[in-house]
Amino acid sequence: MAADPFETEALSFLDALYRTALRMTRSEAEAEDLVQETYIRAFRFREQFTPGTNLKAWLFRILTNTFINQYRRKAARPETTELDDVEESILYRHMRDVSPGSSSPDPEAELIDNTLSSEVKEALEALPEKFRTTLLLDVEGFSYKEIADMLDIPIGTVMSRLHRGRKFMQKRLYDLARDRGIAAARSMPRPAD
Amino acid sequence: MDCADCLERLYSYLDRELSPAELTNVRAHLDDCGGCEDTFVLEERFLARVRDCCQEDVAPSDLRTRIVARLRMESDTPQ
Repeated sequence: MAADPFETEALSFLDALYRTALRMTRSEAEAEDLVQETYIRAFRFREQFTPGTNLKAWLFRILTNTFINQYRRKAARPETTELDDVEESILYRHMRDVSPGSSSPDPEAELIDNTLSSEVKEALEALPEKFRTTLLLDVEGFSYKEIADMLDIPIGTVMSRLHRGRKFMQKRLYDLARDRGIAAARSMPRPAD
Repeated sequence: MDCADCLERLYSYLDRELSPAELTNVRAHLDDCGGCEDTFVLEERFLARVRDCCQEDVAPSDLRTRIVARLRMESDTPQ
């Protein structure tokens, strides 16, 4: 069978859709189901796609809508949907407390670079669903306008979710780094690096 | 532009969402203000770290196969 150009192009976004689904659902099995469902819908409604426009954005819109509909239906009791405001300067100005013995000229930057990938993902997954979804679409490179269209919310709401979501993540990463620092200190003595 | 105005535009700047006029103003302030510049650099590093961590996951190899098989099944079924 000759390759279908629509199929070929759509499948080129498989990894991007999967990793986003993985962070949305927080489950490998659910992410696979969600991505499969996204492709099935995309093919059923492919006539609605205008060739030459942004196929990635179109697929992500389907993914997001499918997730939100299924997720909200499934959530028997609604999770916390709001975030407490985090003090603006909380992350970086406090970094020196985390690694007081560091000889690095730039401990804040060092701490960001040393943040474990698992910690970043944990911090993202700890966000309430609407903040998480907005941040994930941003990570995939969509503009404020594209995200606003996909989620059917005003651009100002996209901006405020990104802002608060990022501050929340930074606070969480700071807390994790601090705990990790304390754990490392407790495991003394240890060989010098 | 003062520091508060500049920091208010931090994410719009890093997300490349500022108008050309605002971009010029923010850049001019950053050239003069080391404090704001440090904050911008760190935040940029943070966003890059988040992006890198998120993009390291790839779909399981058999997922593509299963999806393609499923799509073939769909297209063989009369609508």
